Amino acid sequence: MAATDTTPPAPPAPAPSAGYRSTLGPGRDGFGRLLHAEWTKLRTVRRWVLTLLAAVAATLIVSVLAAGGIHNGGGDKPPPTYNDRTVNDGFRFIHQALTGDGTITARITGVRPVREVGPGFDHPVSAPWAKGGLMVKTSTTPGSDYAAVMLTERHGVRFQAHFVDDTAGSSTSGDDARWLRLVRTGDTVTGYESADGTTWHRVGTTHLSGLPQTVEVGLFATSPEGLEISRSFGSTSVTGGPTRATAGFEKVAVQGTTAGAWQTHDIGQERRPGPPPPDMPPFPDNESTQNGDAFTITGSGDVGPMDIDADAVRQSLSGALIGLIPIAALGVLFITAEFKKGMIRTSFLASPRRGRVLAAKALVLGAATFVAGLLAAVPAFLLGRSEWKRNGFRPPVYPDLGLGDGPVLRAVVGTGLVLALVAVLALSVGVLVRNTAAAVAIVVVVLVLPQMLMAGLPVGAARFLSDYTPIAGFSIQSTTPNYPQVDGSCLPEDGCHTYAPWTGPGVLLAYTAVLFALAVWRLRRRSA
Amino acid sequence: MAATDARTLRALGGPAARDRARSAAEAGRPARERLPYMVHAEWTKLRTLPTTWLILAAAVLLTTAIGAAATSGLDPGHCRGTEPCAEDIVKQSLTGVLVGQVVVAILAIHAVCGEYATGTIRTTLTAMPDRVRVLVAKAVVVGGLTAAAGAAGVGAALGTARFVLLSQGFDHAHGYAALTLADGATARAAVGSVLNLVLVGWLTLGLAWLVRDSAGAIGSVLGLLYLSPVLASLANDPTWQHRLRKYGPGPAGLSVQNTLRLDRLDIGPWPGLGVLAAYTGAALLVGGLALCRRDA
Repeated sequence: MAATDTTPPAPPAPAPSAGYRSTLGPGRDGFGRLLHAEWTKLRTVRRWVLTLLAAVAATLIVSVLAAGGIHNGGGDKPPPTYNDRTVNDGFRFIHQALTGDGTITARITGVRPVREVGPGFDHPVSAPWAKGGLMVKTSTTPGSDYAAVMLTERHGVRFQAHFVDDTAGSSTSGDDARWLRLVRTGDTVTGYESADGTTWHRVGTTHLSGLPQTVEVGLFATSPEGLEISRSFGSTSVTGGPTRATAGFEKVAVQGTTAGAWQTHDIGQERRPGPPPPDMPPFPDNESTQNGDAFTITGSGDVGPMDIDADAVRQSLSGALIGLIPIAALGVLFITAEFKKGMIRTSFLASPRRGRVLAAKALVLGAATFVAGLLAAVPAFLLGRSEWKRNGFRPPVYPDLGLGDGPVLRAVVGTGLVLALVAVLALSVGVLVRNTAAAVAIVVVVLVLPQMLMAGLPVGAARFLSDYTPIAGFSIQSTTPNYPQVDGSCLPEDGCHTYAPWTGPGVLLAYTAVLFALAVWRLRRRSA
Repeated sequence: MAATDARTLRALGGPAARDRARSAAEAGRPARERLPYMVHAEWTKLRTLPTTWLILAAAVLLTTAIGAAATSGLDPGHCRGTEPCAEDIVKQSLTGVLVGQVVVAILAIHAVCGEYATGTIRTTLTAMPDRVRVLVAKAVVVGGLTAAAGAAGVGAALGTARFVLLSQGFDHAHGYAALTLADGATARAAVGSVLNLVLVGWLTLGLAWLVRDSAGAIGSVLGLLYLSPVLASLANDPTWQHRLRKYGPGPAGLSVQNTLRLDRLDIGPWPGLGVLAAYTGAALLVGGLALCRRDA
């Protein structure tokens, strides 16, 4: 200590009644300072920076590995397109030309599957989306615009148009009869249904832009591929093959200026000469009969959007499922290390409002992991993109998406966002558990175990895991639309979710918010 | 003072400790350096920590609960094929072992990294300077506790699953026999699962001696166990999928749980456990070397 005779200029002695007051300015307790302090802690611990780098490296490497190796053989005949989107357009169409406004009405006596063993199966299989009904189509060219009102085997009456639009009507079973009507006025087409042919309900209406004066109106029936998913022995086999369905029509009446004669076409199903390729089951034959104003049509195929099962963008970002392991460890350590080393007491001494300290930690950690996630996701997408383009994932079936396109931007930025949420979740678990090993294990098990278990569980249980545990956040990585009116092999272990891309991060956010609130409560209640 | 320092230094130094141990063996070991005594010391250390019992209870509970959850989702009629739906109900019942492994790893980390965090390791090595024997003593205690908790967890999981499966309709009418340890394959799956837990405990022990820090240790164990199955599900090349499942410690070690269609496995039940044992041996070797060569 200093010599006693030279007294340093001491701060002005506080008045005894006022107690001690710090001479430091009040600015130090600002939230900005707190953020800066937490950022300094994060950036100066070399292990933590290395962990963050490991997360970037793991995400990038695993993503590149997962993006490679998927090959797309591709059909020899490109599918029809509508608005640059590949679509299914295959059905039997009994039609006549209608010029100007007009109406077609019919009583559909049911849409029933043909109980037969189709190619690809050893037992009869049916398709719930088998459909038959009335259609207005601009031409018989595959991919041309249409509007239709129909009865489906299991999904009731529907009004569908433009290949992607689908409106539900009554939930009539495919075994029951129903009156259907389609009215064309200018370029507007409206679909109606009725139980008795006198009281009509509107099912849906649409505007077919550029509808020519003369259009084709008529009856159609078709039945999409049957799908069977069987899981045993921890593996899944998806069997698919064409199916047929029969629709019966009565009292078919067309009002308007028509050509008068019915024509039969199999839209989009011209047979190639020669035997069918061995790897593709041949389409079963379409059939139809006419008896006065009654028709029976048996058709196979589908009219609607094409289900794209391979999501190359998601595949090229899937490394984040591994990258979250170091992120979770970092999130836990960011708080448990302070408990272990006693640093937390210094932190709380400097900033006694504990909730604010944790909020600052969460913000700094979230921002750092978000940036790390972006640093991994952007090159992962760019590398993956060139890889899958080389492997045959090209337009028109697979759209050529760049980094600036909406779905890709959402998936790439969303990857960073989800990793940031995982980090904050881990931080909260760290506060609640305090034991580093246990906290890391809990977070990693909750996030990684569902991925491992999904493939072996029944589809319902696996879907629950993928949709309602924190791993659901990764639904933001999906870029292919999921159409409810198409039965695709949407398997949870393939990363396919039944809800919109933003719903999953909402689920993860809810878990994170609840745990964070619990963590703040616990931090306030318990001595450090 | 100086003499004490020298003795402590010798006790802490690896090679010096071995020399001392060798000379002690020639002179007839004092009682406190015999293995049973050291095992007893390790047992006392671990037994008196309340967390140990919490971890063991978690291992038993999670193994049982997750097995019950995995079986409760099964339905004997959900595959409609012509051949009978061959669900491996034994394997499903033992799904919880996947999580049991992690809890066992936490126990091993708790036993080793806890000592480094608190500095007890220096006391331990002063009292028992033969580091190889310290490692063996810890392995015996952790292995014994793991085996006991594993047996309880696996037994409870099978018992619960038997009840759940019967109520779910997995009975003779659907071509399923009730779960019983009298069945050879089921017994193998059960014993193999317990052995798997013990091996994972020892594997973690080896890594924990190497890494010392609990976050690093749990991270590397989880990475080692989980990386290969997740990679295999992400990889698209079937050859690589097969290799990852065959040589990854996680999936290979759990191959022993299969009771059906063993010819279609990536690796057989016992060879798979052998792969895990090889990883464990390597981890213990490296961890033991690190323990003997480094200052505590």
